[in-house]
Amino acid sequence: MTLLAIEDLAKTYDKVTALTGINLSVEAGEFVTLLGPSGSGKTTLLMSLAGFTTPSKGTIRLDGKDITHLDPEDRDFGFVFQGYALFPHLSVANNIAFSLKVRKWEKARIDARVAEMLSLVGLDNLAGRKPRELSGGQQQRVAIARALAFGPRILLLDEPLSALDRMLRETMQKELKRLHRETGVTFVYVTHDQEEAIAMSDRIAVFNHGRIVEIGPPRDLYKKPATHFVAGFLGENNFLSGHRADDDETMVEAFGTRFSAPLQPRERPGDVLTIWVRPEHIRLGPAPGDGIGFRATVVENSFVGAVERILLRTSTGEQMVATLRSEAHSEYKPGQVVECRIDPAAIGVLPSE
Amino acid sequence: MRPRPIIEVGLPRILAWCLLGFLFVPILVVIPVALTDRDYLSLPQDGISLQHFAALADWSKGWLPSMLTSAGIALACAAIATALGVAFAVGAWAAGGWWPSLMRILLLSPMIVPPIIYAVGMVKLWARLSLLDSYTGVVLVHVVLALPLTVLAIGASLSNLDQRLVQAARSLGARPMTVFGKVILPNILPGVAAGALLAFVASWDEITVTLFITGRAVVTLPRRIWTSIQDAVDPALAAIATVLLVITVLALIARSLIERRQRQRL
Repeated sequence: MTLLAIEDLAKTYDKVTALTGINLSVEAGEFVTLLGPSGSGKTTLLMSLAGFTTPSKGTIRLDGKDITHLDPEDRDFGFVFQGYALFPHLSVANNIAFSLKVRKWEKARIDARVAEMLSLVGLDNLAGRKPRELSGGQQQRVAIARALAFGPRILLLDEPLSALDRMLRETMQKELKRLHRETGVTFVYVTHDQEEAIAMSDRIAVFNHGRIVEIGPPRDLYKKPATHFVAGFLGENNFLSGHRADDDETMVEAFGTRFSAPLQPRERPGDVLTIWVRPEHIRLGPAPGDGIGFRATVVENSFVGAVERILLRTSTGEQMVATLRSEAHSEYKPGQVVECRIDPAAIGVLPSE
Repeated sequence: MRPRPIIEVGLPRILAWCLLGFLFVPILVVIPVALTDRDYLSLPQDGISLQHFAALADWSKGWLPSMLTSAGIALACAAIATALGVAFAVGAWAAGGWWPSLMRILLLSPMIVPPIIYAVGMVKLWARLSLLDSYTGVVLVHVVLALPLTVLAIGASLSNLDQRLVQAARSLGARPMTVFGKVILPNILPGVAAGALLAFVASWDEITVTLFITGRAVVTLPRRIWTSIQDAVDPALAAIATVLLVITVLALIARSLIERRQRQRL
C-alpha cells in the first residue's frame, strides 16, 4: 500500500534548481534510501517531506491526502538530524518525552513510553544524563528514540551516521535495521555513502543534479544499472569503450576481443558503446573455463586486506581493476601478461555518453 | 617542572598589582570620606561619624525618594528592553538573511551616537509629545539606550544555539510558541539575565540624557547627585557611593558563589 506519494516535485532557489521532476512513492513499512553526491538534491527532498522547505512545484501526499503545505508539527514525521540536534538543556528522558508532553499525554503513559524507548535503543541506565555527557553513538540513539517516541508515520533520517567513526557506523547500521524491523515504521534515509545504502535499504533512489536517476532494490541497481551514473556510483566499476561489430549485429568488440552482449535494437553497427564490468567479475590465470577471454598486462598489484587489487592494461591501452581474494593471490608481477576471463552475464553494455 | 604562570613572575606581577591598585584605591577613598564628622568633603578629623548615612535615610533630604525613582525606572527599563531584545534577537536568529543585519545596525546606533546629541534631539521630540519630565519619557529614553546591550547579550547566547533545535522541536509536534518557551528560552536564559542586568545598570546610572529631559517631577539618583554637587559638596555623596560599592561587591560575591555551585553540580 502506498503510504507516501511524491508527484512531480521541484524546488528552485533564486534560479538555482535544487530538485526537478521528482516522482517517488513509498510503501508502508519500507526502508527507502535517497542516495547521491552532495548537492544532488536528496536533502532538499527530505526537508520538503519534513515541511522545513516548501517545494516550488508538485505535490506530496500521505495516504492520498495533500500535505505539501502542512506545517512540520502537523505531519507526525520523526526526523533524525545529522549531528543529532538534541535539546541540550533537557535530560535524555526529557528529550524523549518532549513530543509526548507536547501531545499532552498523561504522566504515567509518558513514563512508560520513555522507558520503552530507552530499552528499545539500549540506554536504560542513562535516562538522567544530559546530551553533552553522552558519546556520539549514544547521542544518536537518543535522537532516534526521541524521533520514534510518538509513533511517527514516517521516520526521516538525514545522514545520521556521518559523524560516527567507521566501526560505530557499522554497528549503528545494524541497529537501524533492527529498529526498522521491530517498529515497522517507514524509513526514508538520506546518505551519500553507497555502501550504507546498499547494506540497509529495501529500495534506493539515486539522485544526481536534482533528479532521480534510477530507483530500485539495491541488488537490481548494482547488477543491472540502466545508467552510466548508477553503474559508477554504486560499488566499484570498470568502464571500457567498445563498439558494435560491423559484421554481426549481436556482437560487441572491446578490449581486444569480441563477444555477444545484450544490445538495444536502436544501436547500429559501429556505434560506440560503454562496457562495464565489476572488478570482482574479472578472473585471472590460465584456468580453463568459458566466458570471454582476453589478454592484459599487469600494471600494479596492491594488497588491501581481504582482497588484492590488480590494475591491468588491455591490448587497447585501457586500464581496468580486478579484485581477487587474497588467498587466491598473487604471483602477478607488474609487466606480466595474463589471461583474463569474464562471465558474459556479468558484463553490462550502455550507450556511450 | 611545571612552568609557572606568567603572573607569578617578577615584574609582571608588580605591574598587575599596581594596575589593580590604580583601579581600586580611588574607589576605596570614599569609605573614610563617608565617615567624616565634618559638613564638607574631607577625611575624618576628630573621629568618625555616621551622620551622613543617617542623612541618606532621611526621606526629606531627597536621597531615598530619588533612589526609589531610579530603581523603579531601571526595573521598568530592564523589563521592556529585555522583552524587546529577546523578541528582536530571536526573530533575527530564526529568520536570517539581510534585513536582521540592517535592523541590528539601527538598534545599535544609540551606542554610536554621542549621548549629548541624542539628548538634544529627545528634548525637542519629548516637548512636542508632552513627555518632558515624565516617568514614561525617561523610561522610553532609557529603553532605547539599553536596547543595544540586551540585543548584544542575547544575540551572543543565541549564536551558540543550533538552529536545527527549532526544526527538531517542530518535527516533534511543537508549535512556534512552544518552541520558543520550551526550547529557545531555556537555552538563552543566561544571556537574557545578563542583558536584563546590563539594561538595569545602564538606566540606573544614566545622567546625560536624563538631565535634559527631566526637571522637578522626576528626580533620579544620578540627577539628585548632580544637583547636590552644584549646591555644595555634601559628604552624603561619599556615603551613597559607599552604599553602592557595598551592594556591588555583595552582588559580585553572590554571583561567583552561585557559579561555583553550578560548576560543582556538573
